[in-house]
Amino acid sequence: MLNLYEPLVFFKGSSTDGFISVLAAEVPTLENGGISADGKTYTFEIRKGVKFHEGGDLTPEDVVYSFKRNMIADPDGGPQWMILEALTGNGSTRDSDGKIIPGVFETIDKAVELDGDTVVFHLPKPYPPFMGILAYASSVILDKEWAMAQGCWDGDIANAAQYNNPAPGHEPLQKIANGTGAFRMKSWEPSRQFVFERFDGYWGGKPSIETAIFKYVKEWSTRKLMLQNGDADRVLVDTPYIPEVEATTGLRLYQMPQLAVTAACLCQKVNPAGNPNIGSGKLDGDGIPPDFFADMDIRKAFLHAFDRETYKTDVFNGLVVMPTSPNIEGLPYHKDVPVYEFDLEKSAEHLKKAFEGQVWDKGFSMVLTHNTGNEMREAAAHMLAENIMSLNPKFRIEVRNVDWKDYLVQYRNFMYPIFIIGWGADYADPHNFLYTFMHSQGVYGRYMTYKNDEVDRLCTEGIETADFTKRAEVYGRLQDIWYEDAVALPLYQQIDVRAYRDNVKGFVPHPMFNQEWENLKLLSK
Amino acid sequence: MIPFILRRLLFLILVLFGVSVLIFGILMTFSPERRAAAYVTTPQQAKDIPNLVRQYGLDDPVYVQYVRWMGEVITGNLGWSLVAARPVGEAFWRYFPITLELNLFASPLIIWLGIWLGTQSAIHRNTAFDHSARVFAIVGWSLPTFLFALVLLMVFYGYFRMFPPGILDDSLSLYIMDRPDAFVRYTGMYTIDGLLNGMPAVSLDALRHLVLPVTTQVIVVVALLMRVMRSGMIEELSKDYVVPARAKGADLKTVHLAHARKNALIPVVTVAGQLVGLSMEGSIAVEVVFNRQGMGWWLAESATQLDMPVLMAMCLFMGVVFVLTNLTIDILYAAIDPRIRLA
Repeated sequence: MLNLYEPLVFFKGSSTDGFISVLAAEVPTLENGGISADGKTYTFEIRKGVKFHEGGDLTPEDVVYSFKRNMIADPDGGPQWMILEALTGNGSTRDSDGKIIPGVFETIDKAVELDGDTVVFHLPKPYPPFMGILAYASSVILDKEWAMAQGCWDGDIANAAQYNNPAPGHEPLQKIANGTGAFRMKSWEPSRQFVFERFDGYWGGKPSIETAIFKYVKEWSTRKLMLQNGDADRVLVDTPYIPEVEATTGLRLYQMPQLAVTAACLCQKVNPAGNPNIGSGKLDGDGIPPDFFADMDIRKAFLHAFDRETYKTDVFNGLVVMPTSPNIEGLPYHKDVPVYEFDLEKSAEHLKKAFEGQVWDKGFSMVLTHNTGNEMREAAAHMLAENIMSLNPKFRIEVRNVDWKDYLVQYRNFMYPIFIIGWGADYADPHNFLYTFMHSQGVYGRYMTYKNDEVDRLCTEGIETADFTKRAEVYGRLQDIWYEDAVALPLYQQIDVRAYRDNVKGFVPHPMFNQEWENLKLLSK
Repeated sequence: MIPFILRRLLFLILVLFGVSVLIFGILMTFSPERRAAAYVTTPQQAKDIPNLVRQYGLDDPVYVQYVRWMGEVITGNLGWSLVAARPVGEAFWRYFPITLELNLFASPLIIWLGIWLGTQSAIHRNTAFDHSARVFAIVGWSLPTFLFALVLLMVFYGYFRMFPPGILDDSLSLYIMDRPDAFVRYTGMYTIDGLLNGMPAVSLDALRHLVLPVTTQVIVVVALLMRVMRSGMIEELSKDYVVPARAKGADLKTVHLAHARKNALIPVVTVAGQLVGLSMEGSIAVEVVFNRQGMGWWLAESATQLDMPVLMAMCLFMGVVFVLTNLTIDILYAAIDPRIRLA
């Protein structure tokens, strides 16, 4: 997407909080007056002399239209919730019943305004990750006239509802593209290949690569042979195959810790209705009570039973960052907080104290699930289960694998006492991770039924201020609470390995972008 | 014969109805949330599952959902394929030619080789040729297709760099893209379209990409046909008419090929017909390893992601294929054995 279309700003090098201007003439800051002192108004001057692939000229009207149109479309499962949250204070154009929120389109209309040659964003509250959201692929700019001619929103806010939440296949721009990017879409055969062609009218420097072909090759062995034979310049490498790639000659490898974390989440109030994962549902040796993990000793016992060092070396060959909290390395305000070190004696002590000794005396039985095909999560589940079971023959944990989509449905029905799941950054800000895992309404916090009033309050305070010191204080405290409350077990922060043929140059690693993304204009051969 | 064919085609409607009810019923055993989850890929999107259930009426009664789906199908709308990011009908015409092309080359080879090997094995029963052919058949049949395909790819592409995976060389692919008016996709099969557009280089390159997939398909599948042919031939050669035929002066070749082989072909036609019919849904292993996104690949991806419109459409398609295959087999029976009359 970002090879075809362009946003106003983009990340500077590998930085997650430094920006360069793209379609904006310059990056707005407090110093240059582009950002108002109260952090609620962002003003962008738009670059001149920029052409769209189909020949149109970029204007500030295009920018205003693009943001409004993107928010109006707001398809289910789409990324528009980020910009909506920043600009309207609500992460959707629809309520929980799927009905359009009254007045939301008028709010959108007022949130982005044309002011002479500039575009002004009005935020209801300061929103520190706003610039990061503008650098995202969902904030790219369209040619207004062209988009309207294709059947996109007609520019009249009164008609916005009919363009909201298009059904799959009914989004007019799904198969076509007309951006300002350095490359244009030459051909797209879904699930087969995507062909990019250099756009000779590009406003920036001329890219070295003339044509780029992205192929969908499902089988690793086939991909590897294509790389070895020079028929592919880069292939996607899954973690288990990293040693194979490292042993191959003629390649240039790059490592980049991803802004993504996986954790074993402990649900403090499991759904007891017909739930096979908690056995009898009682503390009678054949099950666990629904509130098993509400007991702090149980949580600490499980955390102490996880051998982080062995996991790191045996499963990842050391090529992983072991996180201490969801505010992982690479995010602002990150700090290493203490962890519950691997110590089976301490684990046993906590289990003896839990539920007034009943757990130790009667034992328990439960199911620990992981999603099918994820070897890293499978290994974590087995290590944790075996270590806990080694403490007492009355402890029984069965490890089961579940299809990923089923997994999504089940954990959201509170069916799993422990669910192992990951989170990738939508934008590089602690709010995106700490709210998700810790707030009582966060995507995972809610399904762990974890609730701490101080946490909820801090999460709100952190996102509503742009004050660096205040935010450092808030997010520092949240990371401490993560340890104090033994909320969940952070498992891994993956390091992506990219394997290029050694004649390919120019790649700049960035933690926000995984292997599926390639910034073509930087590459040369 | 025409009333027979018409009856069979009417029967097709009943088959399609039965198949669609059965598959729809099976898919409905998945919860509405699970079926809605097909539309999401990340935990971030999971919050929209309840909305998706509502939007697509996934919690409506089963019969309401079936009638709704059937109504759409009758109007020609087979739904949207999440896997292909295209309407199912459009996606079908992208994937089907890939599978058909492979089968166009593999099926005649399988049938010819199966009949020839089976016949020769039976004629030269218990000779070195027979033993070798049987070992070849057993090995071929027992080999996991995925493994065999990988070995072929590693040797012939990885080591000898001869037969690359994919469908067409990138340079030719780009050449065609640059000339949309000069290259018309009449059939969606490059081997044929290349010739029809007067670009034999395209056909030759497409053939080069077909060598390994066709070889895999032939070696893995031919064994079954060969075994059936061999058994049939051995049975025929032991029948009473063989000795009188020889006594009347017919040479061995005539007895073997004109009499015994013709009679032994009836079960072979049945098996071959079923194999060809089955091959229309594609081979997952061959398509994945050789990176040819055809019907097998599409079906496998759709099943994994519970892409319901695709699964339903594929079942209907296979229903049509099998009814037509059986019809063809019956007609062939009559052609091979004049004693069989279709009524």
